Formats: sequence, C-alpha cells, structure tokens
Amino acid sequence: MTINEMKADILIIGGGSAGCMAAIRAKEINPSLKVVVFEKGDFKRGGTIAMGMDALNIVSIPGGDSPEAYVETVGSTVDGILDQKPSLVMAQRSYELMRKLESWGARFRKDANGNYEMLKIHPKGKFCAGMDEPDLKVILAKKAESLGVEVVNRTIATSLLKSEHVVTGATGLNLRTGEFVVCSAKSTIITNGGCSRFMMPHSGHPFGTYDYPGNTGDGWAMAYRAGAKLTGFEFTSNAPLIKDIACPLLYITLTRGAHIINGLGQRIDNEGDIGVHAMLREFNEGRGPVLIKMDHLPEEKIKEIEEILFTTERPIQKRFFEQRGIDFRKQPIELFPTEYFLCGGHGSAGLVVDEHAATSVEGLYAAGDAASVPRQHLTGAFVFGEVAAEKAAARAVSLDWPCATQAQIAAERNRVFSPLSEEPSPLDLAEFEQKVRQTAGDYAVPPKNEWKLKNAIKWMTHFKEELKALKAADFHELAKILEIESIIYCIELSAIASNARKESRWGSYHYRSDYPEKNDAEWKKHIILQAGNIPGETLVSFQDIERSVL
Amino acid sequence: MSKIVDKELVKVNKELCARCGICIDRCPLDCLHPDKDGVPYMKYKDCWYCGVCEYECPFNAITIQLPYLVR
Ligand SMILES: Cc1cc2nc3c(=O)[nH]c(=O)nc-3n(C[C@H](O)[C@H](O)[C@H](O)COP(=O)(O)OP(=O)(O)OC[C@H]3O[C@@H](n4cnc5c(N)ncnc54)[C@H](O)[C@@H]3O)c2cc1C
Ligand code: SF4
Ligand code: SF4
Repeated sequence: MTINEMKADILIIGGGSAGCMAAIRAKEINPSLKVVVFEKGDFKRGGTIAMGMDALNIVSIPGGDSPEAYVETVGSTVDGILDQKPSLVMAQRSYELMRKLESWGARFRKDANGNYEMLKIHPKGKFCAGMDEPDLKVILAKKAESLGVEVVNRTIATSLLKSEHVVTGATGLNLRTGEFVVCSAKSTIITNGGCSRFMMPHSGHPFGTYDYPGNTGDGWAMAYRAGAKLTGFEFTSNAPLIKDIACPLLYITLTRGAHIINGLGQRIDNEGDIGVHAMLREFNEGRGPVLIKMDHLPEEKIKEIEEILFTTERPIQKRFFEQRGIDFRKQPIELFPTEYFLCGGHGSAGLVVDEHAATSVEGLYAAGDAASVPRQHLTGAFVFGEVAAEKAAARAVSLDWPCATQAQIAAERNRVFSPLSEEPSPLDLAEFEQKVRQTAGDYAVPPKNEWKLKNAIKWMTHFKEELKALKAADFHELAKILEIESIIYCIELSAIASNARKESRWGSYHYRSDYPEKNDAEWKKHIILQAGNIPGETLVSFQDIERSVL
Repeated sequence: MSKIVDKELVKVNKELCARCGICIDRCPLDCLHPDKDGVPYMKYKDCWYCGVCEYECPFNAITIQLPYLVR
C-alpha cells in the first residue's frame, strides 16, 4: 500500500453536482489556489447527475415569483422547520446561476417566444426551470479540469483530519489501487451527498435506489465523528415513483396534461396539481396503486414526454417500458412509494449549515445533499457549492499550511486497512448490508414508535460490533465495508432523532403511532445531534428556527 | 410483460469493442473491469442502470440490461 501525501488550499470531498461547482468557483475566484477533489467514482460521470437532469427545480426569474415567495412556499412543504436565510440566498442567486450554466452550454427549455419553460412543482409559484442536458456533469467536470482543479478519482474519503478543534483535511482510499491518500487542507468542503442506501428498495435490488447509491452518508459519519452538528435526521423521506425502476417522471407528465388516478379509478389530481403527500396517502389508506394516465393526450405531447424521459436523467426507462409492453398512448404507468432515505436535497437531513455554507466546526463547509438546506435540490447544490468555495477560499488565503501528524495518519491507516485479508469473510458483505438495511426498514422508518426506534438503535450498536469481523478480499470490498459503516451510523442517528421528536410531522415521513398529532407549540424546532465525549454517546439538543425573512 | 432476456447485466460485443476502457473509466460505481483480454465485464454487480457505459462507448459495443428484480 502506497501513501500519497498531498496539500490543498481547498479539499472538496465528493465531486458531484455541488463538488464540481465548488471546485470551479474556487478557481474562478483565485486561480492560484490549489483545489483538490476526492471523488469516490468518476469525476466526469459520478453522482446524481451522471446522465444529466431535466429540470433545475428552484429558479426565481426576474419579474416572476420572488425569492421571498420561494421561502414561503418551501417553508410550507417542510411544516415550517426551515431556517429562512439559506433558502433566501439560494433563490436570490438562482437566476444568475441558471444564466451561468446556460453560458457554459447547458440547455434550458424555452417556448416559442424565447421565455424559459417554468413549471409549478411547489404549492405556490412557478420555480422549476425545464432543462434538457444529459451531459451536464461532463460540462462541469471539463470546466473544472480546464481551470486546473486536481481530481483524485476512485477515492473514498475515510475520515477528516483535525488539529485541535479545526478540520485540516481528510484521508482517502483509492478503491482500485489501494493507495492511501492524505490531504492536508486549509479549508475542507463536504459535498458527498446524502444516504441513499438506507433501507432496502422495494424491488429487492440493493442498488435500485431512487437517490444515487454511491452516496452512503460517508460525509455525515465523518463529520459527526469530527464533532459537527447534524439535523433533520428524523426526516425520513420517500416518493411515489415508477414502480420497480424507481425513476421520477411525475412533473414531466403532469405539466403536459397527464391525469393521476388511484386504484379505485378515481381521479385524484386537481387539474394537474397534486402533492406528494396526497399521493402517498392513497397507498397508506389502501387506495393504491397510483397511476399516471396519458391515453387522452395528443401524440405531440406523448412524443415530448418520451423525448425528455428517454434522453436525460434515467434514459434506461425506454427499455423498461418496452420490456413491460407499456405504451403511454394506451397503458397507464404504475407508481409505487420508494424506500425511505435521508437527503438534504429532497428532504431535510444533513449537516447544520448557515447561509455561508459553514458547518459548526471550524475549517469545514458543506453543500448539496450533505447539507441541511431543506428541499434545495440541484439549485442548492450549485449555489451552495459556490458559496462554500467563496468562504473556503477567503479562509485559505489567511492561513499557513496545516500538517497531519504521523500518529493521525498511522491510526487511520490501520483502521481502514485492517479488514483486508486473504481469509474469507465470516459474513458475506452483501448479505450483511442487506440485513442492516432491512433492519432500518423494520424499525427506523414510518410508522415509528419508541419501541421500534430503540430497537433500531440496539441493532445498529450490534451491527457496529459485527462489522469488525468483516474481511475484504480487495480494495473495492474494503471501501464497501467503510460504506456499510457509514450506513449504520446514519440509521442509528436517524432513529435517535426520530425518537427525540415526540410528535408526528411531514405527512407520513415522521408519523409516530405513539404521538400521532403534530404539536407546533412544543416541536416547531430543530433537533440537533452531536457526538458526546464518551465513545458511542450522542448528544441531542434543540434549536429555534431562524425566521429573519418572513 | 418482461421478456427474460439474459441474466448478464452488461453485454459487450467483442467484435465491436476496441478495448479502449472508456466505459470502465466512466462507470460511476466501479462495476466494470477489464478481463484478461481487456474486454470490460461486470466484476461488481453494484449497477444503478444509469446507462453511462452504453452512452459513452464510442463503438456502440456495450448494452446494459436492467437487473431482473427491476425489469
Ligand atoms: C433521480 C433524481 C432526479 C432528480 N431530479 C432533479 C431535478 O429534476 N431537478 C433538481 O433541481 N433536482 C433534482 N434532483 C436532486 C439533485 O439532483 C440533487 O439534489 C443534487 O444533484 C445533489 O448534488 P450533490 O453534489 O449533493 O450530490 P451528488 O451529485 O450525488 O454528488 C455526490 C458525489 O460524492 C461522491 N461521494 C460519495 N461519498 C464519497 C466519499 N466518501 N468520498 C468521496 N466521494 C464521495 C459521489 O460519488 C458523488 O459523485 C434529483 C435527484 C435524483 C436522485
Ligand atoms: S449502467 Fe451505470 S452503473 Fe451500471 S455498469 Fe453501466 S455505467 Fe456502471
Ligand atoms: S467503451 Fe466500448 S469499446 Fe471501449 S472498452 Fe468499453 S465496450 Fe469496449
């Protein structure tokens, strides 16, 4: 095993949507900065936008719906558990961001008069800009590389380095070569997404998740161990998507005239308007499935829908529908709730950050799905990727190089490599992960109650012990053991937060059968998690909502 | 309903494949590795059926299948 010791002004952990944007922005501000990215997969195609995106979900167009209106509408989708400033900053910078992406070659959909196609996906206002760019990720990655960003591909970050109370970089493992990378950094940005592999998907295929399965909550586990605060972990969310393949298509079809019907044949959308919770209710109350019906649409609309669905985001859908013999002109599309997952982009779970993307630990910033800016989606990943880079760059110029101690490096190296062995693993890794995630499904997700949640915590403590016996035959498997450990952390922290919130909130996402009512008087606040001083101890605290905008 | 095609998730046409390794480099989840002749095969079944390998192949040599559980 070789060791590669590097230094960076800014280290970015996770080269996905937010990470790419952070890298580009840092170089734009100051081309002389040394910017390093650790990417678990491949910088050009890694992450959620591997095959692009068909919409930028939050854009406040000048003359259209205002940033303040966005703060109001997003607040209503998370029952008021939202610090307002970050959402305001995101909406304020969203139009400039869209124009920037466009200037780099990303295609946004426009009508015959040249106006942006703006769709309504929030309860109020039209904030969603239609996009059509399968190569979005490649555009960003090439831009970053042309500016001199140093990318370390196939490298999973394993732990943050710390000096006193300050984060000073991170360590990583190359999952192909086994190289151990130590990067000392003046500023570190976590942009490695949420935790997709949380429970098992309904299909049974472990990687058949809605969210990108390479995101396994590693950044949360790392930052938690380094003392950072986490929040929103009781927001276990899911979505009604295409059954089995778990791809989204709702808004693309709804905005083009599709109808939504339930298993009793009743139409449940209100002229193209329907919320996720209303759809999930149909399942929870036994009126499922929910179907998207398009047989009444003119051919040109069907073609338009097919064109979008079959080229960008998840183009494999074409083969899926063909194999099932589904033609949108004749058959409806069956939706089904996905498994629950944790994500600061679709939901609320993530590192506590302010409007400057700063976490609660000095030297550490976070952006994208890893950060708790509720329902920020791709816009948030891009905007806060930029914000984090701006702050991280400003911090870096005023500091000397930190240096990781040999003791720190040796301890982490030992931790990471100890499972590597020629002996067979006593437990099969895939089977172990399946059991962990099935246990999450049994006890850590809705309907929740105290007994189940405490049982989830008990099981996760047990899995942490069992994990120590696992053996890896190669570096890919070694990385998998690290991923499973992060997944266990995430499930445990989620159960702790869920147990602390003694009420029900967010539709079915945090339904507790022992506290079935929403209780604003007592619970309109954040639940904050932080590692305690005793090993294994998690401190739970509460924080007021910041309401400086509305 | 789904036709049972093949349990192999990735099919590589050896005649067309130039062993360029692009698909191996681009797969976000490290599923693909070269066999002894340099032809890609699915070493790890961690596939998200994103389609990147198929889309990126310059010679249309690779086709992906949905896993049976998903099909
Ligand atoms: C199917 C789908 C459709 C969506 N559609 C839309 C849409 O239409 N509009 C919209 O606005 N939003 C949409 N979103 C949300 C949006 O795509 C995400 O919020 C956004 O891409 C998140 O960016 P990110 O950088 O946080 O995560 P990602 O882009 O996923 O990047 C995370 C990166 O970190 C890497 N990584 C993970 N762990 C480690 C580690 N330990 N070390 C190093 N690297 C690591 C991963 O490989 C990955 O490349 C959609 C999401 C999904 C899943
Ligand atoms: S479809 Fe995606 S995840 Fe599967 S092998 Fe191809 S590139 Fe890899
Ligand atoms: S990209 Fe195509 S030609 Fe190149 S190795 Fe892969 S399958 Fe073969």
